[in-house]
Amino acid sequence: MFVIGVALVLIWGLIAAAAPLLATHDPYAIDFAAILKAPGAEHWFGTDNVGRDTYSRVVYGARLALYIGLLGVVAPLVIGMTIGLVAGYFGGWVDTVAMRLVDITVPFPFFVLVLSIVAVLGPGIENYFIALALVGWVGYARLARAEALVLRQSEFVLAARTMGFSHGYILLRHVLPNSLSPIVVYLMTDVTLVILFGAALGFLGMGVSPPAAEWGVMIAEGQTYISTAWWISFFPGLAMVLIGVGFALIGDGLARMLRIER
Amino acid sequence: MNTLRFIAFRLLQAIPVLLGVSIITFILMAATPGDPVRLLVGDRASPETIALVRDRYGLDDPILFQYFTYVKNLIVGDLGASLRYRVPVSQLIAQHYPVTLFLVIYTIVLTLPPVVFLAVWSAKRQNGPADQVIRMLGVLGLAVPVFWLALLFARFFGVTLGWFPVSGFGETVPDHFMHLFLPALSTAIWVVPILVRTLRSALLDEMNRDYVLTGHSKGLGERQIFRTHVFPNSVLPTLNLFAVIVAYLLGGSVIVETVYAVPGMGKLMVDSILARDYFVVQGATLVFALTTILVMLAVDLLSALIDPRVAP
Amino acid sequence: MSTLLEVRDLSVRFGQTTAVDGISFDLEKGASLGIVGESGSGKSVTCRALMRLLPPAAKISGSALYDGADLLQMPLPQLNQIRGKRIAMIFQSPASHLDPLMRIGDQVAETLRKHTQMRGQEIRDEVLRLLDVVRIPDPARWARAYPHQLSGGMKQRAMIAGALACQPDLLLADEPTTALDATVQKSVLDLLAQLRREQNLSMIFVSHDLGAVARVCDDLLVMRRSKLMESGPVSRVIDAPQHDYTRKLIASHPDRLTLRPVAEASTGAPLIEGQGLRIRYGGRSLADLIAGREGGFVAVQNADLAVRPGETVGIVGESGSGKSTLARSLVGLVKPQRGTVCFDGTPADPTGKGRVAYLREVQLIYQHPYEALSPRMTVARAIAEPLRRHRLCPPREVKDKVADLMEQVGIPTKLADRYPGQLSGGECQRVAIARALAFDPKVLIADEVTSALDVTLQAQVMDLLLKLQKDRGLTMIFISHDLGVIRRLCNSVIVMRQGQIVESGPTGAVFDNPREAYTRQLIDAIPHLHAGAA
Repeated sequence: MFVIGVALVLIWGLIAAAAPLLATHDPYAIDFAAILKAPGAEHWFGTDNVGRDTYSRVVYGARLALYIGLLGVVAPLVIGMTIGLVAGYFGGWVDTVAMRLVDITVPFPFFVLVLSIVAVLGPGIENYFIALALVGWVGYARLARAEALVLRQSEFVLAARTMGFSHGYILLRHVLPNSLSPIVVYLMTDVTLVILFGAALGFLGMGVSPPAAEWGVMIAEGQTYISTAWWISFFPGLAMVLIGVGFALIGDGLARMLRIER
Repeated sequence: MNTLRFIAFRLLQAIPVLLGVSIITFILMAATPGDPVRLLVGDRASPETIALVRDRYGLDDPILFQYFTYVKNLIVGDLGASLRYRVPVSQLIAQHYPVTLFLVIYTIVLTLPPVVFLAVWSAKRQNGPADQVIRMLGVLGLAVPVFWLALLFARFFGVTLGWFPVSGFGETVPDHFMHLFLPALSTAIWVVPILVRTLRSALLDEMNRDYVLTGHSKGLGERQIFRTHVFPNSVLPTLNLFAVIVAYLLGGSVIVETVYAVPGMGKLMVDSILARDYFVVQGATLVFALTTILVMLAVDLLSALIDPRVAP
Repeated sequence: MSTLLEVRDLSVRFGQTTAVDGISFDLEKGASLGIVGESGSGKSVTCRALMRLLPPAAKISGSALYDGADLLQMPLPQLNQIRGKRIAMIFQSPASHLDPLMRIGDQVAETLRKHTQMRGQEIRDEVLRLLDVVRIPDPARWARAYPHQLSGGMKQRAMIAGALACQPDLLLADEPTTALDATVQKSVLDLLAQLRREQNLSMIFVSHDLGAVARVCDDLLVMRRSKLMESGPVSRVIDAPQHDYTRKLIASHPDRLTLRPVAEASTGAPLIEGQGLRIRYGGRSLADLIAGREGGFVAVQNADLAVRPGETVGIVGESGSGKSTLARSLVGLVKPQRGTVCFDGTPADPTGKGRVAYLREVQLIYQHPYEALSPRMTVARAIAEPLRRHRLCPPREVKDKVADLMEQVGIPTKLADRYPGQLSGGECQRVAIARALAFDPKVLIADEVTSALDVTLQAQVMDLLLKLQKDRGLTMIFISHDLGVIRRLCNSVIVMRQGQIVESGPTGAVFDNPREAYTRQLIDAIPHLHAGAA
């Protein structure tokens, strides 16, 4: 299963990289002669209301999806891990402040908070990334802190302290490498969610703006024609499922291999 | 008496969280681009009106005072006014909140039976074929975009089969059940796998505890051990899960309500963002957070009643 | 006497590994059989296999005839009529084997409800009687309590009460005293021995501790690596062991251990000294501030200790006595609230500025061999870490130095590139010692270094420490809950209880003539190898 996950993610990576080669049409080319065409030999996944080729748009959409998913988790990961490890390892007021911050962020449903931040900053991927950095670190911080709390009491960390090593060195060389497993598993799930929420923003008109070949935007464009031209929304959604399953399977496989979950 | 004191203590503990939450919404409000008063009163308002409104929301005061005014207004339920509808935000929320509440409870009712059934089933046959299938469904559930699923449901059950209405809330209670069925189902399909996974691992944890071995050594049957020991002990982690569910569902409602045009808090929020109706957006955000806090408090109190280790 | 249980060719396999390999024995009615072995010997698995309490992956073969019926073959409903009613079982850690959400009384009553006709008030009365039998004071009160409100010893007594509820013929005890403090351990053993006499109970007692088994059993099985090594009456096995392994096991017991002579204590000025140390954990919360309390928890109260060069000082105490905290304050892991630490006559601050220089002289070795090494560092890298980080030797000599240290503690060179997970407990402990020696310290503090190890390994590590002390002229502080070990290893001893030093003095004097009742109690609780105490 883990292998299938890796394969899926690799395939999507290839699709994104080779999009110009794989696409059969220009994803932005409007063709009024081929409006709302059903899937067929010329247009594999059909065309939309202005005659753009859905297949080519799905292929190009992989670039945006991977870009959003992989870049969107970087800031939360780095911020969250730093805060969590430092808070858990040192305890004291750093921990108190960090945990109070977490406490007041937790009650907000994640997507609602992202939405209202995007509402303030305005639509766009950059603002989505900022919102993720402001909110998304919480999950990583909680995990990293929980690990650091255990590790700081563990004998090999105590031993490192009695060997006179500095706290910075111990955090980097002993605490960090040993706290990674649950964080990596969470990271995989988070990539899936970041892609999903990014597309949801696009769907609601607050993410990537049309006419970009972004899956959420495409699903929204197809919404009006759902009863006559189902393919416009169907294929981008299917693509999201397949990319999401890829990352989720990797996370699931890792969780089992690292014995975090039975 | 002890219980009362415990409740009072927990409520006191919630105060800092409430303050923190209000700080977040205040910052969101303060960071809003443009002059909110201009937006509020319109371009042709007289200077007197502007001054009056500025004073009411303390906008000329230093930022700290502005916050105090904000909190003071919050306490009396004044969340500002909608720019679009020219009515108090609290009034809008009062209209939309029950719909979302209905949807969330409806979804929970649809969610819990399959969650308990599937989790118990897969935990009892750990790593069996059924468990593997349920596990894969969990992976799938995580990856499926709700808005897409909702759209497909609307097309299939609503348009093709014509079983359910695909938009609105309806007039009567039976109407509500019909109208919200598809929204609740799409959310449930997304939440069920996540919850099954969590409950399953909670059950597995409990089933592998040493006291289960004690039960066997006393000659208690498998069923009795599950009923009297494993299940009660699994209730606690499940309760904590409940607060998480509610947060998930509230987040999901934003998307699902938009797809099905359900006049709830989520749709109100999305529409207000698109219309730059900032007071409504922040008001809705705050209410979402308050709901979660209330649920978390209730869960805490309930676990304290069940678990003797939490000293009331 | 008639035979109660007849076990023939009992084998248990988990996949490819054999946990129990063809074991046969008989148990007479009213007899008590001990099964002794080190970890991984299959003793607990044997015990659990009799009740079929193993995970489904276990394949059990052979037979166990109880009253003419085979426990291993009978259908589960029939077995459930025997479990708890005719054969009862108690476990190692009472804390996890009791349901945290159920009252003690209800857990004791469970077997009565299942196996007897008693109902209502009758059951309640019987529960109180049972709790009284296992000497729980004020049974009415504790029956209503939840497990977390009981001490470890009380929990084990409650488990025993539950096991005895239906007056079983046979009690299986799986390491019932291992998780308990020595004094509590002794009282539980005494209780079991007494119950045997009073209730004519047959017993199978599984333990790694030969002394504990000798206290309650008349017959003994010795197991090693899933095989039965030797069996016979306790006195015969202890006094005239026939198998080499049994001999080694007995020779490793602190009572019989032949160690190289303990170095003479010198009379010079103390090398390391602690004066008036007071250590508090936890801060003052708002509630403490309002109530005017000091808050937190005082782990060590006003402790003095002085260790002269070349001397070995033992610190003993039960769990929670503050002995480890005291040791940790000497290496700067906790900062004492009051008091000073002096090294070589000058005040030292293990948490402050000169910490690195100080720690070169004073090193601590930890209790859990697997935990003390980072799971992601190989043996060689772990030992080299202080050498490189502190530049204790020129970079190009690191490799030779590591090899040299490994040789000194007796780790084969081929293990250099292994990770801790691939080593045995004893090997890990040696690596930890080598790492501490990389500093070439003057003082070595050993915090319960032997308590997580099997007896034979324990003996080897003790021997290693003594050898190193002699070769390098080390000063040692040896912390242990095991008085038997301390007695063999230390020049002088400090007894701690609830954060305070109760008594201290030369080992001989303290052990032969304890001034305090508590010290006497501890000494009495040392399990000895006298056969047939029951």
